[in-house]
Amino acid sequence: MTDYEITAAEAAKTEPAGDVAVFRDDEDILLRVEHLCQYFRIGPGRELKAVDDVSFDIKKGEVFGLVGESGCGKTTTGRSIIRLYDITSGSVYFKGERICAGTRSLKNQMKEARKNGDVEAADQLKKEIKAAQKDQKDTHSELMNKMQMIFQDPIASLDPRMTVREIIAEGLIIRGVTDKKTIDDAVYRVLDLVGLVHEHAGRYPHEFSGGQRQRIGIARAIILNPELIIADEPISALDVSIQAQVINLLNDLRKELGLTIMFIAHDLSVVKYFSDRIGVMYFGHMVELASSDELFAHPLHPYTKSLLSAIPLPDPLTEKARKRIVYNPLSDHDYSEQQPTMREIIPGHFVKCNDAEEAKYRKELGL
Amino acid sequence: MAEKILQVKDLIVNFRTDNGILRAVRDVSFDLNKGETLCIVGESGSGKSVTSKAVLQILANNAIVGGGEIIYDGKDLLKIPEEDMVKLRGDKIAMIFQDPLSSLNPIVKVGKQLTEAMLLKSGSNSRNARRNFNGKLQLLIESRNAIATTDSQRVYNVEQCDTFNNFCIQSTKLEGAYNEKHRAVEELKAEIDEKLFLIEKKQNVKITAFLRTILKQFPMTYHTDLVAENDETRELLARVKNGMGSARKKKLGEDTRAAIDRINEILTAALEKEKPNYFTLGYYMYKNPGDMATIDAMELHEMNAMTRKYLDDNFMLAFIKESAEAVRHSHDVSIAAKKEVLTEMDSLLTYFDGEELDRKATGDLLKEKIGHVEASIDRMEIVKDGAQYTFGSGITHAVDEYFDAVKNNPKEIARFEKETAKWQQLDAAGKTPDWKVVPAAVVDLDQAKENIRTVIRTLQDSLKRDIDADPSFDEQEKTVALIDWLKEQASAVVYRISKKMAKARAIKLLKEVGLPDPELRYNQYPFEFSGGMRQRIVIAIALAADPDILICDEPTTALDVTIQSQILELINRIKAERNLSVIFITHDLGVVANMADRIAVMYAGKIVECGTANDIFYDPRHPYTWALLSSMPDLDTKEKLEAIPGTPPNMIYPPKGDAFAARNKYAMEIDYEMQPPMFAISDTHYAATWLLHPDAPETHPPKIVTDRIERMKKRAQEAAAKEDI
Repeated sequence: MTDYEITAAEAAKTEPAGDVAVFRDDEDILLRVEHLCQYFRIGPGRELKAVDDVSFDIKKGEVFGLVGESGCGKTTTGRSIIRLYDITSGSVYFKGERICAGTRSLKNQMKEARKNGDVEAADQLKKEIKAAQKDQKDTHSELMNKMQMIFQDPIASLDPRMTVREIIAEGLIIRGVTDKKTIDDAVYRVLDLVGLVHEHAGRYPHEFSGGQRQRIGIARAIILNPELIIADEPISALDVSIQAQVINLLNDLRKELGLTIMFIAHDLSVVKYFSDRIGVMYFGHMVELASSDELFAHPLHPYTKSLLSAIPLPDPLTEKARKRIVYNPLSDHDYSEQQPTMREIIPGHFVKCNDAEEAKYRKELGL
Repeated sequence: MAEKILQVKDLIVNFRTDNGILRAVRDVSFDLNKGETLCIVGESGSGKSVTSKAVLQILANNAIVGGGEIIYDGKDLLKIPEEDMVKLRGDKIAMIFQDPLSSLNPIVKVGKQLTEAMLLKSGSNSRNARRNFNGKLQLLIESRNAIATTDSQRVYNVEQCDTFNNFCIQSTKLEGAYNEKHRAVEELKAEIDEKLFLIEKKQNVKITAFLRTILKQFPMTYHTDLVAENDETRELLARVKNGMGSARKKKLGEDTRAAIDRINEILTAALEKEKPNYFTLGYYMYKNPGDMATIDAMELHEMNAMTRKYLDDNFMLAFIKESAEAVRHSHDVSIAAKKEVLTEMDSLLTYFDGEELDRKATGDLLKEKIGHVEASIDRMEIVKDGAQYTFGSGITHAVDEYFDAVKNNPKEIARFEKETAKWQQLDAAGKTPDWKVVPAAVVDLDQAKENIRTVIRTLQDSLKRDIDADPSFDEQEKTVALIDWLKEQASAVVYRISKKMAKARAIKLLKEVGLPDPELRYNQYPFEFSGGMRQRIVIAIALAADPDILICDEPTTALDVTIQSQILELINRIKAERNLSVIFITHDLGVVANMADRIAVMYAGKIVECGTANDIFYDPRHPYTWALLSSMPDLDTKEKLEAIPGTPPNMIYPPKGDAFAARNKYAMEIDYEMQPPMFAISDTHYAATWLLHPDAPETHPPKIVTDRIERMKKRAQEAAAKEDI
């Protein structure tokens, strides 16, 4: 059993702790994720906590970077938000409306209340569960169209038997657009936007290079005029010289179309370059959340420090002297007395810590 | 100068495809020195992987090696038969592949895949080492006998070499046993430390299993020079055994804890002990079998001094002195022969100047000359000289090419003329034929002759170098080196791996590459691992054979930063420990900075810039290097990235002139006309761009690159200033 596999019985015990203050009071909030949990059943009575109690919000026009090592749950977070999975518990609000909701934690609370004989609370919770189930079922498809995803592997994510036109127009057709002229116009418009030419529409994906295929993936994502794009490692499968092309393209699109982007990646230099705010994940938990400059200037959580110390730089002299910090959760934290929660150390900078660590971090920042 | 372990010269690799000939590698040359890392940087399709696959001779079936040579250990890898290549592949030259999924066997357990090669190679390594050892020793005897005057001297020579052989093997056996025990001590100590740490942190530890490990492993560390078996150790083990009762309650008893602490102390003390000199001790034991009492009574340093003196007085000094004479003799004979060969080669050069050459006569002449060259090589030398060893195959190849051309050129021209005539006839008749005339493939005879001369001249240079170095020849030094080499071979003869050892080593390797629960993982199948873990297993397999050269083909591209930096550290560490030479292929310049001693930047099948890491990062000269540097953000980048427009050219139709010209904003007219030659910027730094031509206009790298270099220099200065304080 690895660290993050636990039995279902244990899972019931470790419920998300009280309210978290990572949310900003702002009218421009586009996406809000509250206590998102995504567990996968991996055997009889065993569950994998892929994402465990993650909360954050994304403002309109912002680029939110999500980093962490492979297997830490960043892709799962993205896929849960866009409802490729049914979440276990927590809620996701998009443009103020709840688009997905999980009931696990509510059900557990209800059981607890029944056990204690608190009938009133139990009934209240039952209502909440009903509401969550309703929200989960009836989500507006129009609203969901405003959220699109770009996938990591540009080869696997394009159907080899469809032409580029069919791939890009599929979303429109599903939405009920039948007029050929409208579809063609829309396809040509996005092809122009991503820097491909109109002739490309009739070709098949295998005729394109990796960078061009990723452009097709981006074109497919933006044809429905989305407001939020979830970009799941869009450049890690590309060549260096092509990576820069795609980053520049995303940057231009963001300015032209006013897109909000959730950028999932493990290349920290790119995330730093591209994102406004960055969340760092470790084994299904969000451990640190701050604006990108702040995070790189004052990393507080030991995991973030170890992650930053591992970035390779194109500079032989500093590189030879670089010392990687090793993160060992057992020796770096002492949670025997108090469990950690997300706390705001300075405005906008959140770290998962307990009282003793909070004091330590404040001292580190000279507060 | 560093020893060159691998030389690639003018390598050309083409691929036959349905659409035509794809020119993947075009005239690539580089050297790899012992113990250095050479990074090859370039985009996909630039030919970097093909180059490395050519070194290992694992190119796809449709590949044609168009020319060039790859010299390793005095052999041209492009020309040796497959049976010989099998011995090198994986064993001397190992490769870590890009795609971990396709390089692991899906239906064989990981542990089996790891130990397979170790077990297979163990026997053959031992046999090979035996052959090397015996061969060299036989040469030594022969060479000593050559200067011997009496029969009794000859008998004495054979006797001495026999003694050396016997005690050398015996002492390496002793040393091997010690090393094994030493490793066991290290492992047990690491295990105890880890478990105690976890217990302290109140983590879940299976205490019964832990105690059982100690009970099993501790007696395995017994060795007279490490952990002595005595009453105390027996008592300690009994106390640990008693602890099993309370261990069932998931607790470590106080007495057990004390016993474990004591065991840990004993192990630490054992690790701090000095290592006995087994080479000298081996001789003493060989001469005085059964005399253990004297040895046991002595302190370690005393014993070392005594055996050392014993060896020197009785054997070694005389052995070195007499062998040195033999080495000198062999060297002198070889130098005399080399001088003769040198003049012979002059006449051979003039022979090839002649116009009408007869193939058979030339072949006979060559056979004789090759025989002379091979006879002139000093076989007592340990370092093999590439030019002299490959002369035979090299010149035969070049001469064959020349005579084939002499024979085939007229045929080819006749065919071409015939076809052209036919085509013109059809054309004149107003028809457009649906076929084209294949151009005549005529080999330039002068060029072919020049190739022959180059091979001869390379040999002459190498011979001259040897003759010039003659006055500084130190037979004493050479003899000591020879004896060291023999010792090394002897240890390889003795070193045999059992299944159990192979498993222990595999688990240790898995731990080294950072895989959690290696014992459990050992018995799993590849599909049960994540991508990063699979890559680490592939690395472990490559390292298991303990190669001389490690080729890493984008080993970290699929991994995230933390693991990437772990893997890079691992490769760097192992490189330093084993004096490994590494060819590291990647497209990520950030990774390169940490690893590289030298960097070669490849584009469209050619090396466009090559230099030390500092040259490339602080003083890049080729526009493609600039573009690579400016297209990736670093932590301080704020401005828009300068992406390289377009995509690499299709190498079925290689562009005329500089292949990068179409994507290069600094391109000049000449770039579309002619390929730039390599311009030397310094002794180590070369770049192939017309911008370095004296007539070229002055250009500067893009601002994003110069800014970054400024920043890096500043950072380096700050760091230096900090160190001064």
